Amino acid sequence: MAWLAPYRVIDLTDERGLLAGQMLGKLGADVIQVEPPGGSTARAVGPFDDAGRSCYWSAYAAAKRGVSLDIANPAGREILLSLVAGADFLIESAAPGHLASISLDHSTLMTRNPRLIHVSITAFGSSGPKAGYAASDLVLWAAGGPLHPHRDGDGPPLRMSAPQAWLHAAADGAGGALVAHFARLRSGAGQHVDISAQQSVAQATLSSITAAAVGDTTFATEMRARAAAGAGVKWRASDGLVELMLPAGPAMGSWSNNLFNLMRREAALPAALQDWDWATLPARMETGEIGPDHVAAARAAVADFLALHTKRELGEMAMANKILMAPCNTMNDLLESPHLAFRELFAAVGESEVRRTLPWAFAKGPVGMFAEPRGAPGLGQHNAEVYGDLLGLSADRLDALRVEGVI
Amino acid sequence: MTAQRPFEGLKVLDLAWVVAGPAIGRVLADYGATVVRLESSVRVEVGRLVGPFRDGAPDPQRAAIFDTNNTGKLGMALDLSHPAGRDVVRDLALWADVLIESFMPGQMQRWELGSEALRAANPRLIGLSTSLMGQTGPYATLAGFGQIGAAMAGFQGLVGHEGAQPIGPYGPYTDFVGPRFSLVALLAALDHQRRTGEGCWLDVSQGEAGIQFLAAEVVAAAATGRSAGAHGNRDPQFAPNGVFRCRGQDAWIAITAQDDACWARMAGQIGGEALDPAFADLAGRKAHEDRLEAVVQAWTLDRPAADLEPQLQALGVAAHRAATSADMVADLQLRERGHFQRLPHPLGGDSVFEASRFTLSETPANYVRPAPHFGRDAQQILQGVLAYDAQRIADLQAANVLR
Repeated sequence: MAWLAPYRVIDLTDERGLLAGQMLGKLGADVIQVEPPGGSTARAVGPFDDAGRSCYWSAYAAAKRGVSLDIANPAGREILLSLVAGADFLIESAAPGHLASISLDHSTLMTRNPRLIHVSITAFGSSGPKAGYAASDLVLWAAGGPLHPHRDGDGPPLRMSAPQAWLHAAADGAGGALVAHFARLRSGAGQHVDISAQQSVAQATLSSITAAAVGDTTFATEMRARAAAGAGVKWRASDGLVELMLPAGPAMGSWSNNLFNLMRREAALPAALQDWDWATLPARMETGEIGPDHVAAARAAVADFLALHTKRELGEMAMANKILMAPCNTMNDLLESPHLAFRELFAAVGESEVRRTLPWAFAKGPVGMFAEPRGAPGLGQHNAEVYGDLLGLSADRLDALRVEGVI
Repeated sequence: MTAQRPFEGLKVLDLAWVVAGPAIGRVLADYGATVVRLESSVRVEVGRLVGPFRDGAPDPQRAAIFDTNNTGKLGMALDLSHPAGRDVVRDLALWADVLIESFMPGQMQRWELGSEALRAANPRLIGLSTSLMGQTGPYATLAGFGQIGAAMAGFQGLVGHEGAQPIGPYGPYTDFVGPRFSLVALLAALDHQRRTGEGCWLDVSQGEAGIQFLAAEVVAAAATGRSAGAHGNRDPQFAPNGVFRCRGQDAWIAITAQDDACWARMAGQIGGEALDPAFADLAGRKAHEDRLEAVVQAWTLDRPAADLEPQLQALGVAAHRAATSADMVADLQLRERGHFQRLPHPLGGDSVFEASRFTLSETPANYVRPAPHFGRDAQQILQGVLAYDAQRIADLQAANVLR
């Protein structure tokens, strides 16, 4: 039995929260994804395959069973409350106030099941002056702090092209749910877990956002300079890019010296650089012994060396010689990685119409801690087994609900 | 009556450093666990060396990253290269329910503190090792920080202007993703142990955790053969989806028109060229995106972000200034939620740290002490937790192990 097999999760989330239930589902929880009868909006979120099917849905609805239900309809609402009565967790990502507007507010849920842990994943939190703000991945990246310092030269701040904000929030939803579970083990009572994507995203600032609060007034300027220098840490290999950090100074310079030692052994270090030492470089630049031209020459020698090798060769050199360097992997590189294959990260799963390859286990541990991989559900795929076996609704009743458009 | 704290009585030995490891123990401390954190004051951990610092003065005792990741923990400096130091770790591993470490894979074994040895001594122990690439596999010993993890996980090619060399994400990105997955795996292990009595050892790879945040892109690449790339701030499903310069120094606003109706309301405010029927639907706006963005940029350039944000939000358009640290500290929403917390610091002034990411209605996070300065709680740990007698503590001091 996978570790969370004793627990059931009712999952009302859309693209803003799918990952939370999935994390619990991968660990064995019975996660029932509830979609409106027209299908989750997450099914319309990219990227898409060549047939136009959502890879986002495939990626983050996997590990769940799926039912369709109109929870705004009184009969549908009653069915949802019956599911809630037998559940350990309810996770939702509706805008603040939406569930209350269809008579499914927190106290109604708790009256039906006082042990329920109710997790809300919202953009700015369930209450407060910005609780009603409209949001997007980009807007949350702006509100949570990691956007502003991040530039390429004089251009505007840049987000990641693969949306991230809601994933940070949803992953916190899973963590908060389990913290509340440990509280319930002592008290017997459930509670509300309120996740603000803005606060979750703030994790991606490395606490630089505290600068104004601690009185570090120059930090923002330094941060900008560091971000600008970030462009210098990508280097060309023969078949793509590698990330190489070349730190100088007594604490970190030895990492860079490891690269120069390797280049020396490979006869790739120009004669003028034979005595180069990254550990003492800042001190020697301060005295004027070494100037910017020398540093440029040293970096040019590095660039020449790297351009002769493939990303994979450079990755292996980094490992063997303790160099702060790694290939900038593409998605296809990940799918072909011998390391990830060795660790069996990817699983092939079936969906109703298609097979998908996706990352499965997010930790290595005892055999059986994770559930067997399963693909994302089709719309209403498990209506019969959930409504029939779990709630005891008759086939006739299910037919009637279908005719009424409730399921 | 205060509700009992979720992890009251849970004993945690925290050997982790920087962010990905310490962030896990921080959550356990927030909700009631006793977390003993060991570190070297000689080989000072990176989290103490990176700013921001209190009053801008570099001081490893007053680093904001360290404070946020270690609030609530008991702290002691210990020399693990000394056999007597490793004996202390062994004793604490016998005391602990949970051990978290983030050394290079193989280092704990070289110290004879590997998972087999510690689990044999304490079968109920739950260990968690977090590393860049995991404990096994050909790349297990790849060294580095979250920037290297981000490269391995595929993030470095995903931030940048269309067609330009990508710049990658801000900071050691997988350090921010890894602890979320570590926490959930660890809490599931604790629940399993509670029911079965079985301990275990968990191996979390920051790189693999990162790939979970690119799962949709992995599915797409496997299905189509095409890898995701960097496209500035643009998004295939929204336009405009961009960051625009505003009045003031280095001031920017992020704007997403979530659908055609949002754009129509926004265009009504902008007027002029924004009302061009070519922009009426998404396909048209995507087809003329350069011109669309120029229209929006011209409109925001002379307006303060502080005015634009509420103006656009009143229309239901997703918008927020690109918040600086000063903006975030002043943000009324974050203030209402208590995001920036303070506790008096024994070395003077306050320790400022970020709040728990979970707001729990009945058992809220409780911050009982600021992050430790070097050696702060040595006496409490050696005498209180381990019940060492005065002679043994004096011997450790004499051997210069407590540093």
